[in-house]
Amino acid sequence: MAIPFSYNVRNLMVRKTTTMMTSAGIMLSVAVLVASLALVNGLRTVFANTGHPLQLLILRKGGTSELGSLLPTESFEILRSKAGMAVDGKGEALVSLELVNVANLPSVDNPKGMNITVRGINPVGIEMRSVRLTDGRWFRSGQREIVIGKSVARRYPTAKLGSRIRFGKGDWEIVGITDGGESVLNSEIWGDFNQIASDYNRQDSASSVLVRATDPVTLDALKHSIEDDRRLNATAITERDYYAGQTASGAPLEFLGIFVAVAMAIGSGFATTNTMYAAVAKRSKEIGTLRTLGFSEGSILLSFLTESMLIAVLAGVLGCVLVLPLNWVTSGVGSFVSFSEIAFRFRVGPTTIVSGVIFSVVLGVLGGALPARAAAKKEIIAALREG
Amino acid sequence: MVEARKLSKEYIRDADRVVALKDVDLEISGGEFLALMGPSGSGKSTLLHLIAAMDRPTSGQVLVLGKDPHSLAGRALARWRNVHIGFVFQSFNLIPVLTALENVALPLKLTSLSAKEQMEHATTVLSLVGLGDRLHHFPRQLSGGQEQRVAIARAIVTDPDFILADEPTGNLDAASANEILELLAALNRDHDKTIVMVTHDPHAVRFAKAIRYLEKGALRPAGEQPEDWVDRNISVVSVPSAKNSSEALL
Amino acid sequence: MRSCLSLVLRNTLRNRRRSSLTVASMAVSLCLLGVLLALYRGLFYGGETTPGQAKRIVVHHKIALTQELPVGYEQKIRQIAGVHAITSLRWFGGAYKDPGNSKNRFGQFAIEPASLVDVYPELRISEHEKDAFVSQKTACIASRALADRLGWKLGERIPLVGAAILPVTLDLTLVGIFDNPEGNAVLYFNRDYLRESLSASDFRRDMVQQYYVEADNKDAVPDVARQIDAMFDESSYPTKSEPEQAFMLSFVSFLGNLKVFLAVIFGAVTLTILLISGNMLSMSVRERTREVGVLKSLGFSSGEVLGMVVGEANLIALAGGLIGCGLAAALCMAMAGAMRNAPGFTSVVKGLSVSPLILTVTLGIALLIGSVSALAPGLNAARTSILDALRYNG
Repeated sequence: MAIPFSYNVRNLMVRKTTTMMTSAGIMLSVAVLVASLALVNGLRTVFANTGHPLQLLILRKGGTSELGSLLPTESFEILRSKAGMAVDGKGEALVSLELVNVANLPSVDNPKGMNITVRGINPVGIEMRSVRLTDGRWFRSGQREIVIGKSVARRYPTAKLGSRIRFGKGDWEIVGITDGGESVLNSEIWGDFNQIASDYNRQDSASSVLVRATDPVTLDALKHSIEDDRRLNATAITERDYYAGQTASGAPLEFLGIFVAVAMAIGSGFATTNTMYAAVAKRSKEIGTLRTLGFSEGSILLSFLTESMLIAVLAGVLGCVLVLPLNWVTSGVGSFVSFSEIAFRFRVGPTTIVSGVIFSVVLGVLGGALPARAAAKKEIIAALREG
Repeated sequence: MVEARKLSKEYIRDADRVVALKDVDLEISGGEFLALMGPSGSGKSTLLHLIAAMDRPTSGQVLVLGKDPHSLAGRALARWRNVHIGFVFQSFNLIPVLTALENVALPLKLTSLSAKEQMEHATTVLSLVGLGDRLHHFPRQLSGGQEQRVAIARAIVTDPDFILADEPTGNLDAASANEILELLAALNRDHDKTIVMVTHDPHAVRFAKAIRYLEKGALRPAGEQPEDWVDRNISVVSVPSAKNSSEALL
Repeated sequence: MRSCLSLVLRNTLRNRRRSSLTVASMAVSLCLLGVLLALYRGLFYGGETTPGQAKRIVVHHKIALTQELPVGYEQKIRQIAGVHAITSLRWFGGAYKDPGNSKNRFGQFAIEPASLVDVYPELRISEHEKDAFVSQKTACIASRALADRLGWKLGERIPLVGAAILPVTLDLTLVGIFDNPEGNAVLYFNRDYLRESLSASDFRRDMVQQYYVEADNKDAVPDVARQIDAMFDESSYPTKSEPEQAFMLSFVSFLGNLKVFLAVIFGAVTLTILLISGNMLSMSVRERTREVGVLKSLGFSSGEVLGMVVGEANLIALAGGLIGCGLAAALCMAMAGAMRNAPGFTSVVKGLSVSPLILTVTLGIALLIGSVSALAPGLNAARTSILDALRYNG
């Protein structure tokens, strides 16, 4: 049988100050870890939510980003005639020719200016994406009108419904605000393809073409057909993969966050060890008494290990709670693929919290292992004599 | 019940070899109330520890109920101690964060009794020692005498074969000391408990039924006492401090 | 006093385990602090600039780096007072041999050979190698780091296969190896070669990505930058000119709201150290209470005793701080080495080191924590009467 749990709990309460201080250290380490995980989680969510599973992005051969890709407009007709394309209600193939560039506007985080993706798009392109208009109206073809994603509206003070912003060859009027759910598209500016192409002197070369296959099997065949077609000289990548690949943009921050969390954890671990050693020393007589009463070495070990784990788990849970409010925080990170900012929301989800708690448990075990062992290994007489 | 044969204990302290016990032969029968007397450093506490299997003899053997407890190891030895021994310390050694009731119930946690049964037993025993109204007090809320009574209750709650008491009155004033000794005597008389008590208090000795003397690690033959015992019999007023307690544990 | 110091030292060694754990904990946390400070410095201040770099201005399209500027701007900019030299730059993302192997990836730029050394005075190259570069159209020069990495010798043939945007193949010959202070791997070749390789209809023949301008002196930089921008403000290709250091640091904004992130972490870490290490130090001090009683009974004054106690705590804190700074310095060097060849981070690398200021701040924090944590229990111990101290059973 084991030493009662209440023994550990009450001992922790008796040395409240020390317990709280050690706890606080672990709590902060867990908080930093969970925050970093939440950042990556949020980024990943945004990228995972963007892209239709049956859609392929066509770029210039070898291209890895829409921004750096130059696709001659002739590609459009060649692609439209391919078999396996999904069609819209009117029987027209869902194929969208698009031009991508960046504009620079002062943002909340960067008053000096931050890049935003500008996309020249036709109505078919809008149809192919699950984006709806929440305010205003869509842009008209032939007009210098644009719609902005809701994250742009939120993070760039000069971008408001009805106001004008300048990029390319002049001013554009913001006529609508869009909502793409939780996707990258909320960080984009959309305008009429022809207008934008001429502004950037790109009448003959678009950036990419978006196509949709009829089903997953056809998708695969279509991909190969496009890549093998020598007239096109193109690369086809599924929309999902294209965006998933951009998650690496959060890598530096994730790395930094985890590095800091681990370093803090090591520091906290030493503190836990120290605290527990002190507790063992102080309760030396108790340990001797318990052994005299018949409790085995194993039960002593378990008891002290439980105590250090209690401190750690309590701290871990508090750390997660501390970070929960981040769920309502939006931030932005620059993608090196689109060279523009992607807005995302921190995501403290169940997996993140579980990771945080496991982290704290491991810390508790590691920190408390040596002192617990020392307690268990004490000779009864020596233990009774100390203190 | 207890048979010690050529029991010796030596240990090294700071590069010095200390002989705590030398070739002790002792027999204790059931129902006895034996007092072990001797000055500081005579080895009486060591003998007690060896009987309780809290320490290993350097040579020689101790048999308890015909069995050498050191033939057991680890958990088995711990269980053996739980079942057969009730130990009372000079400085009570109650767990500060547990109530009197919980302290007394602690040894029962190692048995197969249900939680309810454990509490019932503990309550009974605490009432037996006269503390039925202090069940939920913490040690710091009890007087020295009351703490020791809780400690005795804890020692007998598993109904062990015998009670070993190491200077049970050492930290108590005269009145409380008396209560404790009366309690022990009652346990021995009315409940047939075998008691071995280590003490250097001559007043305490009067409650025991037999006395053996220890001097410099050697056990004096029964009935014999050191000649100059009367002269050396000064009760030392000790300030409870680490130094003194550790000496006393010899 | 001397005896006090040895007593303090001896006390620290008494409970070796406790002291080492405290030192270790402080060392790790202070190392973290040092690294954060160095990171902040590297990311937002970029470290020391060479005299050459201090005079350099980057001119790029106002709206986006991806948009280009006309070749004709070069002449016009040269006319501006305060401009010492100007060259254009175009990044060429060509593939060398097997680009899958990271060794084969390096920066390649098309520039004007004649003005290169004028714009980059810190580049050290021999006269005749420089002349060879200017006179041979298919010549190229590489940094020593690059040449060493790939084992190139003068005369080496270096084919670069352009991808997506610039689909031409360049057949270059290495005519010179230069030393640059950053120590990163970079290759320069003649922009005319690239121009002629592009098809006649490719509009980029007459466009450049950026201009690099070397001003006459450091003080002229803001003025020159302003004049350049003013000159092209109304045109269809407006410019943005900024000192090179600022340009490099603008990449940092890509990492998101890093300043806030770093500040928050810094705060969290400092708080943690205070709580944890502070607590550990306090524990040690509280344990000393009985000894304090003994010392006072021997004749030491309360003040002397307090001094010893606080001194002991600070000794531990200082040890932790020094070790932490050492670790931080090592970590910074490792990070700098890893980041050296990452695009846009070269200036970060320069600033990423434990400067004397950072060392002072970190040690200062260590001593502050040591003093603060020791003060409360120390004062308590010093004020306790001798008898109470001796009776202390904490």
